[in-house]
Formats: sequence, C-alpha cells, structure tokens
Amino acid sequence: MTRLIAAELFKLRKRLMTRVLLYVLVGIVVVLYLLLYAVSRVTLPANGPPPGTLQNLLGLPVALPFAMSILASFGSVLAVILTASIIGNEYNWRTIRTMLICSEGRLRLLGAKLISVGILIITGMVIGLAAGFIMSLVTTAIGGYSFDFSFATGGYLWDQFLQFWRTLYVLLPYTLLGFLFAIVGRSAMPGIALGIGVFFLESIVTTFMILAGGWVARIPDFLPSANVRAINTLNQLPQGIGGGFGGDNFQLPGVTHAFITLAIYSLIFAVLAFYLFRKRDVTTN
Amino acid sequence: MANRTTIELPPTSAKHNDIVLRTTGLTKHFGKLVAVKDLNLELRRGEVFGFLGPNGAGKSTTVGMILGLIAPTVGSIELFGLNLKGNEWAALRHVGAVIEEPAFYPYLSGWDNLEALAKAIGGIPRDKIGEVLQRVNLQDRARDRYSHYSMGMKQRLGIASTLLRDPELIILDEPTSGLDPAGTKEVRDLIPKLAHENRAIFLCSHLLHEVEMVCDRVAIIKQGVILTSAPIQELLAQGQVLQIRVDDPTQAAAILSSLPWVQSVKRENDLLIVNAPKDSASRINRTLAEHNIFASELVSRNVSLESVFLQLTGGESGD
Repeated sequence: MTRLIAAELFKLRKRLMTRVLLYVLVGIVVVLYLLLYAVSRVTLPANGPPPGTLQNLLGLPVALPFAMSILASFGSVLAVILTASIIGNEYNWRTIRTMLICSEGRLRLLGAKLISVGILIITGMVIGLAAGFIMSLVTTAIGGYSFDFSFATGGYLWDQFLQFWRTLYVLLPYTLLGFLFAIVGRSAMPGIALGIGVFFLESIVTTFMILAGGWVARIPDFLPSANVRAINTLNQLPQGIGGGFGGDNFQLPGVTHAFITLAIYSLIFAVLAFYLFRKRDVTTN
Repeated sequence: MANRTTIELPPTSAKHNDIVLRTTGLTKHFGKLVAVKDLNLELRRGEVFGFLGPNGAGKSTTVGMILGLIAPTVGSIELFGLNLKGNEWAALRHVGAVIEEPAFYPYLSGWDNLEALAKAIGGIPRDKIGEVLQRVNLQDRARDRYSHYSMGMKQRLGIASTLLRDPELIILDEPTSGLDPAGTKEVRDLIPKLAHENRAIFLCSHLLHEVEMVCDRVAIIKQGVILTSAPIQELLAQGQVLQIRVDDPTQAAAILSSLPWVQSVKRENDLLIVNAPKDSASRINRTLAEHNIFASELVSRNVSLESVFLQLTGGESGD
C-alpha cells in the first residue's frame, strides 16, 4: 500500500487545487485575524461579546485554540472538497480504470487515497495553526501589546496537542460523507455538494428542532453537528466565542456521547464507501 | 449450447504457445440485459488477437471483466494460469491495457502521468519511463501537460503506459483512434513487434483493414455472443468466391443454383458471384459448358474482413 500512497501523494502534490485549498485556508486565517483586529479597535455594540474578548482572541494564549476553531469550521469545508475530489475526479477524468489496473486491489487503492488525503489535511492543519500563530504575533505587535510566552507551559501545549487531534476527529464525519457520495455519484460534485450541504444545512435544521422543544429538541444529540460542537467546547476559547445553534443555553451532549456518535457516523460512511467501491462494476458509463 | 464458442488458438511457434488468457463460460448480465454470454476464449503468447463487434456487442464488457473492472455473473477468467478472482494483483500485474480512449490526469505532464503509474505499480526504474516514451516517439513532448496533447499523442501515451511494466498481455482498445496516417502506421508496425517480443496482444478495433493487417486471429462478437472465431486467413478463405462472366447470366445462375455443392449464387450486373468450394472452378466451368454456356471470365475473388464482418453482423458498423 505504501506504493499507492506514494502515487497518491505525488498526484496531490502536483495538483494546483491542493495548493489553492491551502492558500485559501491560510487566507481565511489571515483575513479573520485582520478583521478581528480591526473590529477590536472600534466600539462594540452592547449585545456583542464581552469587552476585551476580541483582544483576547488575538492574544497569544488564545491564538492556537482560536486557529483550531477556524480549522474545525472552515477547514471542514476545504477537507470535504479535497476528500471528495481525490476519488470523484478519478471518475470525472475516467482515470479510475487506469488506476485500478495498476493497483494492488480496490480496497488498498481507496485506503491509500484516504491515508494520503489524511496526511494532506494534517499538513494543512499544521500550516493553518502556524498561520494563526504568526498572525497572532503580528496583531500583538501592531496592537502594541506585550509578548508574554509564560502561558506556554507543558499543560498548555498538551491541551493544544489533544485539541489538534480532536479537531481532526470532528472533520471526519463530513469528509467521509463527501468521500462516500463522490463514490456513489461517480463524481466529485455530489460528494462536495452533500458534504458541505449537510455541514451547513444541519445547523439550520438543528436550530429549528431546538426551537420546537420536547423530544424533537433532543434529536440533534444524535446528529453530527451538536456532537462536533460538544467536542469543540473542550477547546479553551473565551466565553461568548464559538457559539452555534441554540446559543450558549443549549445543552450539548456529553463528550463521550459525542465521540461515540461521531465514530459511528464516520464508520458507517467509511464502510459504505469501501463496500460500494469494492462491489461496483467500473463501466464506461 | 448453440452459442457456445471456443476460440482455439494454435501456437504461432513452439516456444511461444503457452496460454496467457483463458475465459470459461464468461457471462455478464446487467439487470435483464445479457451483455456477454458464455464466452470461451484462449489467447496464446506471441499472438495478436482481434476482437471485433458492432456497438454494444459486449467488447468493452469482456475487456472490463478480463481486467477485473467488471465482475462476471458466471464463468471464470484465467490469466497466466491464475484464476483472476482472488488473484487480481498477481494476475493483472503482467497485463497492460488501454481501454477505449486513454485516460490520464490532465494537470500532469506525460512524464508525470507515467511516474504516478510507475509509483503505484512499484519496482519500475525512472529510466523505464524515458525508454517507453521514446518507444512511442513522445520523448520531446514528455514534459508537456497531458491536457495539451493531441488525440494521437494521448493514444501514444496510453501505449507507453502499457509498456511500463513489460506486460505479457497487452489489451488495446482502438489504439489508432485519432492518430494521423503516419502515427497509425507507427502503431500498426509496433503491434506485431510487441507480439514478437513474446507477448500476447488483445486488440479491439473497428478498423477492419487494420485488424486484417496485424492480427493472427479474430473473433467477431454480436449481442454478447461470439459469431465466429478463426485464424484470419482461414476466415478470409471461407469467404472466397468465384466471379464468373457469361453471356447469359440468368440461365447460368439457374443452372449453378441447382448444384448441391454451390452455396449461393448472386448477380452483380453482368457477373455472377458464386459461393462454392475453392477447388470447384473447373467443375463449374464444365457444367456451364455442358449447357452451352461458356465463361469468358472465371476468377477466384477474396473477400475482405469487412465483408465477412458485415455479413456476420448483418451490416452493423464495427465501432
């Protein structure tokens, strides 16, 4: 399988889209930091975040958790595009047959694709974090705040390390959904559309469910979005930042429940993707 | 079963006669549609085998099954003595194929496309990429993007990709499609050379003239069933007819049609086209003379593969 991973990484490395997605990710981080910096310089409305929150966000201790929250949201979209493309474009370009003939087996080819895209997502996250850290330094410098690195204790770094993997974990259901539907639709577009569509639409639907109250309000506990948010709350962001549907009063599912639910979703999507890919004939049409 | 056809391919040389491909009772259903029915093929090393049929005849499905892309409903495929089912990688690693039009990554160069494939296959030195590109005359455009290639260049890259792993069986589907006359000739010359390098070539083509020139054997498939399969010379000889010119073709046709060993008599203007055994020319001449009809012309005429194909497939094009 290492051969196939090498081939996949070679193709991804040479592809312009991979670099464009990375530029977009870094661009989002840079623009968000600059916007927040600009906003932090003006008077905030009465119902906005507590005073000092935005300045805190730009400060160094919060820089990494904040960058990771950006990765968990915008990163999901980019990860879905990348994951759906890696298999969907093989159908679009009809290279799927060429690759299958050269591969040690269908499952290995699909496995190699997922591992390769995983490596790329991790690389992107590291670069996104670095961008967030650098932007934090920049806004700290231009804001005239002091550089104080005393926060970087072993405990802090360990927390960030864990949060890095938790962020990667919350990307899984949506990226695997995109991956599955790229295979189902034999094209990148269904995967991208469904992966991103569910990511955004679920929040809206969930809000209505919560507003409905009663047992309907508990349905989101079993949907990815609420569980993703439950895991993201482990990220140490200042109060008032990182709210989602239902506001901060919505009772999120427990962390263990969230981990298990997301694992079940990811597993179902992955198993279905592998099963379909293995079983289905690769025909011209 | 009436439709069951076995293509027995005699060895082209004593050394190169081992069977590289054998299909047994190969059948594929797509829902109610029977795409391929009870197909039995044998292909030996050193042989160029032509696989012909009209649109939707089952050629691509057959190739797809041989390459493990389509699962047979019934039947088995053996490649180099290995059952394909359960041994896909071991069996297919000696097979190179270009299925329908070649498909590569548009954003990569010709070289990079081959490098990606070489990495996936493994154990292929980088020098080999240059070597195969040179073999198909693509070395000067190797660093150009595939999306900028002409159809002919794409075809040549496809052939280069099949040669990367020194395959023992090469499957080519319309290898000269889109090539200019010079390119067509290059590929046409290359195919027998590849076969002489101890490989078997499985060639799907609708260019019957091309097939006639390069293939040792052909099989014609229609609606998933093999209609005929034979060495190409035998097939053409089967279609050999006698062309007779007489003063009274109507009477001559009536006389010849009554002969039990004459299969058919057809009139083409002043000529009679008689389908009869090759050695019957003298008997026909004598019979006509006995009825005071004297042939001013009596020649043997070979039919083309195209005629045989059209006759067998009922005039459908061989795309």
